[in-house]
Amino acid sequence: MNLGLKDVRHNLGRFTMTAAGVAFLVTASIGMIGLYRGIVADALLVIERIGADLWVVQGGRSGPFSESSAIASGMDRRVAGVAGVAIVRRFVQISQQFEHAGQSRRASLTGLDYPLDNGAWVPLVAGRHLKSGHFEAIADKSIGLALGERVRLGLDDFTIVGLTTGMVDMSGDGLLFVTVNDAASIAQRRTSEEVLLARSAAGRSNQGSLSSSSVAQDSKIAAALVTLHPAADVVTVRRAIMAWGDANVLSRAEQQSLLLDQRLWRLRIQILAFTAVLLVVMAIVISLIIYMLTMEKRHQIAMLKLIGARNRVIVLMIAEQAYLIGAGGLALGLVLANIIFPYFPRRVVIDPADIALLGVAMALICGFASLLGISRALKVRAQEVLS
Amino acid sequence: MRAGPVLSVRDASRHYISGDSVVRALDGVSFDINPGEVVGILGPSGSGKSTLLLIAGLLEPPTAGEVFIRGRCVSSVGADLDSLRDFRRDNIGFVFQKANLIPFLSAVENVALALEIDDVPSRPARAYAEHLLESVDLTHRIDNLPTRLSGGEQQRVAVARALANDPALILADEPTAALDSVRGRQVIGLFRQIADTRQAAVAVVTHDPRVLDLFDRTMELRDGRIVAETPLSTDGNKSLQNATAAQDHSQ
Repeated sequence: MNLGLKDVRHNLGRFTMTAAGVAFLVTASIGMIGLYRGIVADALLVIERIGADLWVVQGGRSGPFSESSAIASGMDRRVAGVAGVAIVRRFVQISQQFEHAGQSRRASLTGLDYPLDNGAWVPLVAGRHLKSGHFEAIADKSIGLALGERVRLGLDDFTIVGLTTGMVDMSGDGLLFVTVNDAASIAQRRTSEEVLLARSAAGRSNQGSLSSSSVAQDSKIAAALVTLHPAADVVTVRRAIMAWGDANVLSRAEQQSLLLDQRLWRLRIQILAFTAVLLVVMAIVISLIIYMLTMEKRHQIAMLKLIGARNRVIVLMIAEQAYLIGAGGLALGLVLANIIFPYFPRRVVIDPADIALLGVAMALICGFASLLGISRALKVRAQEVLS
Repeated sequence: MRAGPVLSVRDASRHYISGDSVVRALDGVSFDINPGEVVGILGPSGSGKSTLLLIAGLLEPPTAGEVFIRGRCVSSVGADLDSLRDFRRDNIGFVFQKANLIPFLSAVENVALALEIDDVPSRPARAYAEHLLESVDLTHRIDNLPTRLSGGEQQRVAVARALANDPALILADEPTAALDSVRGRQVIGLFRQIADTRQAAVAVVTHDPRVLDLFDRTMELRDGRIVAETPLSTDGNKSLQNATAAQDHSQ
């Protein structure tokens, strides 16, 4: 006779409510882990999808994902001349705030080196990739732009020709893809006053052009993306470029490491620490629930002992209920997570491997909770049935 | 028929230390209960009745003396009673003032549980539990949860559960205290039947004067000692007939 299951069926409402309470904790844990996974996925998205073997960045710096990086406008042509290099694309990414339909929007403006790169690596959910060198854009849905809409960026109007989903930068801003030239032009936007002041300064110093700004203008090209010939020796190419002195070369793995182990390190630790705290809270709550359930059953446990039940019967009843609460909480928590988290503004990745790990953690927690209850139950004496 | 007493208690004492003084809950008690005998244990509160039941039921060890069940010395000073759980299951049935049924099990499951705990497979356990409930006139209530049963019905389920493993000894602690006189007599009448048909020894702790005539004999305890023992009842059969008649009437 399965005593644990029969008790659950008899007190189904109560057990459901208990499991629901645990489910909310599980949902929160899935959310924290998923947020962590989401931040990592968002941060690595461009690095992994853009398909570069090497990133040539400003000399002495660690590239655009770690610190500001600006390379000379002719750097891509120099790199293209290195033996073993197949394709070089320029890369630019700028955070942009703009007005659209009376609302302020944010986007991470990302340059595609058209016509070498029309964004074919960008997965579209609607529309097409770029077909023109100017005034076309591919927008992530999270920015809130629709296909065919025109949006003013800098001094020009851009038509949204393609839509993506889930393409965001590490801060969660949706990516807005335009050509590199358009991106540089948008980035160099300045007010009339700036231009006038620049002209005045140029007149006094007799230096600079009339198009210069009073604000120091660096190159907006952050990096050159290198695709190597299949037979090329990475070390040789790297050594050749590094020898110039004004460039640094990073592999894809180094970029990932820089992001995860330096830029996002504190955030990752913070999220993991919160997750650990949540798991501890969950362990305490489940343990208390099982302990209280056991305490409520003292009389029944005493009766079971009186009629000669072996400890195994009592242990199974308590452990079974702990695991039923844990399994119910996990299942319900997973359902809730799948319903709730798609509406969250940041990506929450529900990874089956993480759920499996959470399941193992729940199993350990339930085991620990059972032990508490069982240790109490085994101390119950048969004669307590008389009390 | 079993030879010799089912339960023998020899010079059993149970002393508790309370501050500087020693409380003698039981003080050198000796008695036997034979197969087919229903014995009433009487006495005021604090006289040691329940302590005697705990010691006889292998739930407490005596601080002096010995307990024999079917001729085997099973409990003495410092005995590990937890190791006697299997022996208790096979040889002793308990009935208390409260039926103490498992609330999430039906009547038949409560009885069958006692058998399944003794490794009887669930199907035959349920079949025998139904038979036992039938013997206590609860056929129509077998699938009811305890909350759907009256106090008397619950107590009869508890009796059926106590009989599940066909114990040689049945110990009952105030089984009629929560019942009216008719249902109280029904329960003791049931014990009488069990003693007669199964040759079980039955010890009933009670201070319910309405059922005294149903016992074969009674022992009166005071301050932990047996102070009086009445002889075998001569009109036991008549009283049983009265109890059975009351049972029939109530149905």
